[in-house]
Amino acid sequence: MQIATPVLALFRVCIYAFLLAPIVVVVLASFNAGNFLTFPPQGLSLRWFWTFLQNDVFLDAIAYSAILAAASTAVSLVIGTMAALYFVRHAGREAETVRVGVLLPLILPEILTAIALLFFFYEIGIGTEHKIALFTGHVLMTLPFVFLNVTTSLQGRDDSVELAARTLGASRYTAFRRITLPLIAPGLATGAVFAFIISFDTFGVSFILKGTGSAPLPIQLYDYLRFNFTPEAAAVSTVSILLTLVLVTAADLLFGRKA
Amino acid sequence: MTEVSLRALQKLYGKTLALKGISLDVAHGEFVSLLGPSGCGKSTTLKCIAGFEEVSDGRICFDNKDISRKLPEDRDIGMVFQSYALFPHMTVAQNLAFGLEMRRLSKSVIAERVAKAMEMVQLTPYADRFPKALSGGQQQRVALARALVIEPAILLLDEPLANLDAKLRNEMRGFIRDLQKRVGITTIYVTHDQDEAMTMSDRVVVMFDGEIAQAATPEEVYDRPASERVARFVGNANILELPVMAVRDRAAGGFDLTLPGGTPLHLAAPAPWANGALRVMARPEQISLTDPGFGQLGGRVAKRYFSGGHVEYTIDTDCGPLLVLGPTTQAVHEGDAVGLTFDASRLWPMAPESGAKP
Amino acid sequence: MKRFRSYLLIAPTAALIFLFIVLPYVTVLIMSFRAPADGQPYGEGFSLGGYAQFFGQAYYAWSLPQTILLGMATTLICLVLGYPIALHIATASRKWRGLLYGIVLSPLLIGIVVRSYGWTILLGNSGVINATLRNLGVIDRPLPLMYNNFGVILALAHVFLPFMVLPLLSALQSMDPAIAQAARSLGARRFTIFRRVTFPVSMPGVQAGCILVFVLAISSYVTPALVGGMRVKTTTLLVVDALIDQFQWPFGSAMALVLAVSAGLIVLIFARLTRMKWT
Repeated sequence: MQIATPVLALFRVCIYAFLLAPIVVVVLASFNAGNFLTFPPQGLSLRWFWTFLQNDVFLDAIAYSAILAAASTAVSLVIGTMAALYFVRHAGREAETVRVGVLLPLILPEILTAIALLFFFYEIGIGTEHKIALFTGHVLMTLPFVFLNVTTSLQGRDDSVELAARTLGASRYTAFRRITLPLIAPGLATGAVFAFIISFDTFGVSFILKGTGSAPLPIQLYDYLRFNFTPEAAAVSTVSILLTLVLVTAADLLFGRKA
Repeated sequence: MTEVSLRALQKLYGKTLALKGISLDVAHGEFVSLLGPSGCGKSTTLKCIAGFEEVSDGRICFDNKDISRKLPEDRDIGMVFQSYALFPHMTVAQNLAFGLEMRRLSKSVIAERVAKAMEMVQLTPYADRFPKALSGGQQQRVALARALVIEPAILLLDEPLANLDAKLRNEMRGFIRDLQKRVGITTIYVTHDQDEAMTMSDRVVVMFDGEIAQAATPEEVYDRPASERVARFVGNANILELPVMAVRDRAAGGFDLTLPGGTPLHLAAPAPWANGALRVMARPEQISLTDPGFGQLGGRVAKRYFSGGHVEYTIDTDCGPLLVLGPTTQAVHEGDAVGLTFDASRLWPMAPESGAKP
Repeated sequence: MKRFRSYLLIAPTAALIFLFIVLPYVTVLIMSFRAPADGQPYGEGFSLGGYAQFFGQAYYAWSLPQTILLGMATTLICLVLGYPIALHIATASRKWRGLLYGIVLSPLLIGIVVRSYGWTILLGNSGVINATLRNLGVIDRPLPLMYNNFGVILALAHVFLPFMVLPLLSALQSMDPAIAQAARSLGARRFTIFRRVTFPVSMPGVQAGCILVFVLAISSYVTPALVGGMRVKTTTLLVVDALIDQFQWPFGSAMALVLAVSAGLIVLIFARLTRMKWT
């Protein structure tokens, strides 16, 4: 089946390069010593990382994004896991409806969902103040990822182990806590990491629902990029890429082998 | 019709030798089974014949023409896979037509041959169904027809019945065997099921560890196994180690052995290696139960399992536990003392094995 | 009782989806029929003004076919680039598969703003590509790679390529490898196997990937905004502009709905054309 002609192999290498190029370029640009994003770079330096570390706007944005991501991940982890349990264990004929329903935030265009939420929160008189709308948007965006990961790890398990625990005298709750929960822990962890990263990086809901005051990192970055061309944005992006890598690697080291 | 001959086939995977020099001749129209436990090299041998694996050394000839270097698509083989490997996006008729289209036959010829093939496997009413809408047995027959409709030089089957339930498997054995006889095609069949190999084949090739242990008719493999390992793989075998009292003819056969308790036992088979003692195989149905005190050897019933057509006993004797098949009419219970009589004409001596575990 | 208890598991999610997805989308639908007004988001009463405004002005109306073409081009490129990759990963050895899979998924883990920004660094007038070509003496003035459809489509293809590869990969991996062998044993050669067996059998993945990428591409905002520099006007950009910057809520909603309905129709037609009777 492999069509191992050299032309095709070359084509494949190009595609892999295409996939990695923009990310690599951002990281390289962040070490540019010049005042502008020129190529080839005018020497290497860490000055833009230093500039960024003194820029409260970006630091605040990172902190804000991290808190928002942690909070929305916590909520979607709980309700997403419950939904996954229902879907795998209890859903009968309505299973497909449940699945599509939970995945709606993923299937529907994010920007349209954000706009819909904006109208909705205005119509009920809350608006984008108090960040409730923004938070809701982030929970919606992260929920499908928790659901998908937990569903996968639940489906991979034989649910007779929980039944076995109950024949041995464990209550419904104990059986879940002692047997099922440890077994699906890798799925929960992967789901949580995914959710956190999605929330940290998502643009649409943040852009539309951010309200006034501080804004999440992607929005600050976007606003900055519209009018500035210094490598500081590249430094910020590199830090954000690094955070993601650390998170993914940590999750992989902790749970990768078991998942 | 085609003769297949394998000449000292070797297959290396990295540093492990999966096939250690397989030589085999399959006559035209013959049905040969490759039988052995998983990992014995039977599937690898089949894949080499089909061309999906390249041989590391040795030759494969069809009608004395070396085809070892040919691509699978040029070998003119019909193959049935364990998973059937039906094309899910094509109807039954389209599946059958595929190989003929590859041969660039005219539409009318294709239609005619597909129709005939579907009739042959009794699937005419299902011509326009997709594989998903067929039962396991029907899918199996489509796979068979798809392999045969191209009128290949040889037919290769890779554990084709493994995914069917027991009842259907029995039906399909007969079906495949009859079809093969009717078409008269040279067939190589891979299986790990000894019953399947015995009932279907003209010749059974027993393989262990990448080597052929024995290639013979089913009767011969069962009654006169080449080694203890073959004896145990092909059915149940009681092995008794008995001292030789007298040798009449080492090569032509004729030994006087003695059972514990002193009863003499005559072995008619040849055993050129015979020395002070011989290991002798007796199949469970070659031993019969009599009253205690009678027969050639005494024992006690340790276990009794009723299995419908007959009763399976484990008898504790001075030769160790022996497996014996008895008729269901016999009133023998666990704990009873019994006598045992051997069918001396079918006793078979075991050749000593060098290195291989029994 | 037991049934009731199990409903408690789905209740929070069901409430969340109903309250914050279903109702808000209904709000958009209603909003699109409200009367436009000046100086405030919307006026009293209902009208078709929003729709009239969209279809009545060429500037807006023309954005729709352009956006759809942009989406189709992105989808096509993703398919052409994604298929060899999916095939490669599906047939790669276990050792390589993890790494290749990682390369394909890595863009997903990097924010869309950062990725689009990466493309601006590559494609800009003094960006990596133009600078290199100029230094090599191939060109004297920068090639227009950015702020046009070319740049936007390229960047969109990059951003959504993983969404094409993943369904393709799952279709290819769920395919019985013996099928290709069976085709060979029947006399088919490599290209024939691809054309007659592998590709048609992976059709469910092709379909899913194309639909996903198309929908994502036409509704994306950041990439066209950054790489297109507001010079490539997609309907989605206009929607956000109308809603956020101009406060014309009925007009923006009408536009969003026209885009959504058009996308839905195209997806339906596509699904109909690529319908598989055998699944």
